[in-house]
Amino acid sequence: MDWSLVWKAAIALGGLALLFGILLAFASRRFRVETDPRLNDLIGALLGSNCGACGYPGCEAAAQAVLDGKDSVDVCVAGGRKVAENVARVMGVEPTMAERGVALVHCIGGLEESVPKAIYQGIDSCAAADKIAGGHKACEYGCLGLGTCMAACPVNAIALDQDHRRWVNRDRCTGCGLCVEACPRHLIQVVPRNQEVLVVCNNRDKGARARQVCSVCCTACKKCEKVCKAGAISIADNRAWIDYDRCTQCGMCIEECPNRCIVRVAPRRRRRRRDLVTAGASSAETGS
Amino acid sequence: MSEPYRYFLIFLGALLIYNILLIRFIALCPLIGVSTQVETSIGMAMSVLFVMTMASAASWVAWNYVLKPLGVGEFLYIPVFILIIASLVQFTEMVIKKVSPPLYRAMGIYLPLITTNCAVLAAATESVKPGFLKLNVAYHFSLPECLVYTIGVALGFGVVIIIFACIRERLETSPVPHTFKGAPIAFIIAALLSLAFMGFANLLGL
Repeated sequence: MDWSLVWKAAIALGGLALLFGILLAFASRRFRVETDPRLNDLIGALLGSNCGACGYPGCEAAAQAVLDGKDSVDVCVAGGRKVAENVARVMGVEPTMAERGVALVHCIGGLEESVPKAIYQGIDSCAAADKIAGGHKACEYGCLGLGTCMAACPVNAIALDQDHRRWVNRDRCTGCGLCVEACPRHLIQVVPRNQEVLVVCNNRDKGARARQVCSVCCTACKKCEKVCKAGAISIADNRAWIDYDRCTQCGMCIEECPNRCIVRVAPRRRRRRRDLVTAGASSAETGS
Repeated sequence: MSEPYRYFLIFLGALLIYNILLIRFIALCPLIGVSTQVETSIGMAMSVLFVMTMASAASWVAWNYVLKPLGVGEFLYIPVFILIIASLVQFTEMVIKKVSPPLYRAMGIYLPLITTNCAVLAAATESVKPGFLKLNVAYHFSLPECLVYTIGVALGFGVVIIIFACIRERLETSPVPHTFKGAPIAFIIAALLSLAFMGFANLLGL
């Protein structure tokens, strides 16, 4: 065996490695870009999924904006309080966190409640389905159930069951509002987290027509408006609206509603998805 | 064979006839991974063109002035070329970051990806050991030939990945069966595209 190859190889590889090492060492000094050492910590504190909910191109841009003082520590919409606390720790300030709301889908009518008037076989997107003859659902205002909001959600807080009912996991939802923009029927709103009594229908048809298209719909019967002691409920556009500032969460309207489209959602209680589905099917106790 | 014609053949061979992605199926990871949007695939193609040219030139120099005189090239070229590519990518990243932040924002995320890109290593290897061209078994590229060859490979990479991204953008809205959504249909499309590129075989005797 030719042992000279060994030291020749060592020289070749070692020499080149040394050369490039020196080159890189020189370059790192010569081409150093002054960055705030907190930048990397900040990027680590953020979620790192580059979801874009904050309006910046990615987590790095968001971190840079916080460093530059252009944005507050609660920049990460998807991360919520936990991430805001971490960011605040890196920045050395008190976490200031505006309590964000939680997304609510203003429709609980699934396939059972609102029988589709047509079969849709197109692009898997609510926006596309909505454009074709007012959608395949009987109700022209209700959820199409193709999951565009689920795709938009950065934290997988929205689930869809087999009957095309949507459930928002309130523990996961950070109230970022991406789904609000995604829904072509504008069914989703971010509502205050402590609001427990909610109207889950967006049907603007007159009462008789509304009952035709869905069994859990608001017919604007005004029963809830009459029963509400706080005067928080009003009827407009043929549906009920709750004034969240006035609502006392008493729940009188829930019992009064003949079509079960006002519901109470349990605040911050962890439920498994199966429970959500069965509870939703049997009664309207659980909100979406 | 006249001098300009040989350059032309080398370029065309690298670009189309022995296309790195569709004929030789090297660098499938960026083909599937970075081809979902035209914009990102253009960024990737530009970065690959840039890094590949530099890496091949450096590899050619290292081969001809270090490895070959020492007689250790045959078993040492892969680690040496990986060393060269990794260092060059690092170096390029630093320089771009300092000199042109906008370019860094456009290309920066692709540069680390390219460090471990097999297409770059393949181009570097073949620029010193030309394998496919039916020129001469003992043939070695000169430096200009090596550059022409590498630019051909990189442009071939770019053309294909951009075509592929255009197709995949339209696939997004096509009724693809659920089982085939995502990567599976991408592979099928790649195979069909590859069939199309095989039509170039034997063009100009290559």
